[in-house]
Amino acid sequence: MEINQETVAHLAELSNFSLSEEEGKRLESDLAGIIDYISQLDELNTEGIEPTYQVFEMENVWRPDQIEPQEADREELLSLTKEVRNNQIKVPKVL
Amino acid sequence: MGQPSIVSQMSEKVNSRSGKSYLPTIGIECHVQLSTKTKLFSEVDNDARGKSPNSCVSPVDYGLPGMLPRLNKEAAYYAVRAGLALNAKINLESRFDRKHYFYPDLPKGYQITQMFHPIIGEGFVELPDGTKIRIEHAHLEEDAGKLSHENGYSLVDLNRAGTPLVEIVSQPDIHSAEHARDYCKELWRLMTYAEVTFGDLYNGNMRFDVNISVAEEGATELGTRAEVKNLNSFRSVERAAKYEIERQIKLIENGEAVKQETRGWSDASGETTAQRSKEMAQDYRYMPEPDVPPVRLSKEVVEVERAKLPKMPADYRELFGGLIATDTLEVLLDYPLLMQKLAEVADNSGTGAVKIANLFSSVLLAEENASLLNDELPSREQLLKLVEMLEENQLSSTGGKEVFLKFFDPEMHYKNTETIAKELGVVQENDLAALEAIVDSMLAKPETKKAQDDYRAGQEKVLGFLVGQVMKESRGKANPSSVQEILRKKLQ
Repeated sequence: MEINQETVAHLAELSNFSLSEEEGKRLESDLAGIIDYISQLDELNTEGIEPTYQVFEMENVWRPDQIEPQEADREELLSLTKEVRNNQIKVPKVL
Repeated sequence: MGQPSIVSQMSEKVNSRSGKSYLPTIGIECHVQLSTKTKLFSEVDNDARGKSPNSCVSPVDYGLPGMLPRLNKEAAYYAVRAGLALNAKINLESRFDRKHYFYPDLPKGYQITQMFHPIIGEGFVELPDGTKIRIEHAHLEEDAGKLSHENGYSLVDLNRAGTPLVEIVSQPDIHSAEHARDYCKELWRLMTYAEVTFGDLYNGNMRFDVNISVAEEGATELGTRAEVKNLNSFRSVERAAKYEIERQIKLIENGEAVKQETRGWSDASGETTAQRSKEMAQDYRYMPEPDVPPVRLSKEVVEVERAKLPKMPADYRELFGGLIATDTLEVLLDYPLLMQKLAEVADNSGTGAVKIANLFSSVLLAEENASLLNDELPSREQLLKLVEMLEENQLSSTGGKEVFLKFFDPEMHYKNTETIAKELGVVQENDLAALEAIVDSMLAKPETKKAQDDYRAGQEKVLGFLVGQVMKESRGKANPSSVQEILRKKLQ
């Protein structure tokens, strides 16, 4: 997979990051390095092997359907946001 | 699983003004909010109706770093029940994936869903007219928060973020706006009968995305489809589908291309309009969700959930199909508890169930009484006694209606049928001797003399007047047809 400025810009847009030109360039080479490193796995024959969802082979990690009190209340949670209005998080207008 | 019927293309095609025929093809995705006590991955209240914004949230819903989602076991079981209601195969092993997108209603930046190994496999929904719509699959996922748009900004309420959803994906087996509506309505019935959702459409408990394309008759490929998102009533599904079919045919006739895009529907204007162009699938960057290990269900669990399913609409159609008029039955089917009651009555008396069905539809479904159905329904004993009294002419049909309405009166509903009828004074006098006495005393009155003479002289219609006099005398308790019979005999 080829990583270029276009791929980096596209990924940044999807994640809503703004990148300076310099950051973009650095990410381009970082990402290319990471992909290249991971690509070693391509040498393995994975025919017929199920993707690993869980490395510890756990399953059914679930809980009863019971309401529990929360440590963080609304005020704490809202305090993490930039702007609050009527107990809601105010964000730039979206469609 | 039954084989889907082949939809007759002849009956579904739409003729354009230029005389060409088009076949609409519709597939529907339906989001059903499950009515579990807590959210899918956090232990907070899942019923946010009427609650203050952001009051039902946990750090998991907020997407704070380091928070570990923990699956609500009951949500998985609800999904099994939903799947069984869809006549679907339950996948004993299912897995979760992350679907990434950036939007203010989703603080984590990804939605936990089941892209590749859904809990519910292939199934089908049978519409009232017998058409079968295949279900491709259905999966568990978390809902996003609620956005409200103000002038120049938007507000985010995360009460709904993390609510468990079952997303039901149909095959493109639907070929008309009417069937699109029928399908959505039937889904709503199936999900409410299965008791996996509150089914409150007004509050967004079920939302529909409708994919629509049209192709000229005989075309070998489907046309380009547009998706109308977030419809929340059966009527808007039907209207939007109808509008979209016409819009696309018009475009094609004008030599223009239908764009693959997401469109929004406005109930007020009755139109769909283009929204953001759909992001390509790979942009969601799906990956296995490492925080939520796979779910493995036992066959026993599936059977336990199957046993919880009550009689479903299809069962009632089979039970009452020949007895209750289809139109009436289809209206009554919207009320699962009422159908349960009818089935209880039918166990004792088939004709009685028909009588009660007609009372329910004529008395309660009149606009001003429909809300009574939210109250406690009459007991099986009350209904059976009502049937008996009607059949033995102790109650006229009008009197029966009055008694029936009182079943819903908070002051009366705990009383038995006979007591209510007596208190209302509507029990009919059927004792012939007693009736004769009343008739005699009426005939003895001088003011009825002329009417009696007129009747004897051949004026048939004065009989009505005389019956009326007896009814008055009996304060409405006499059975009019018996009175008429006695009068005819006496005036010979």
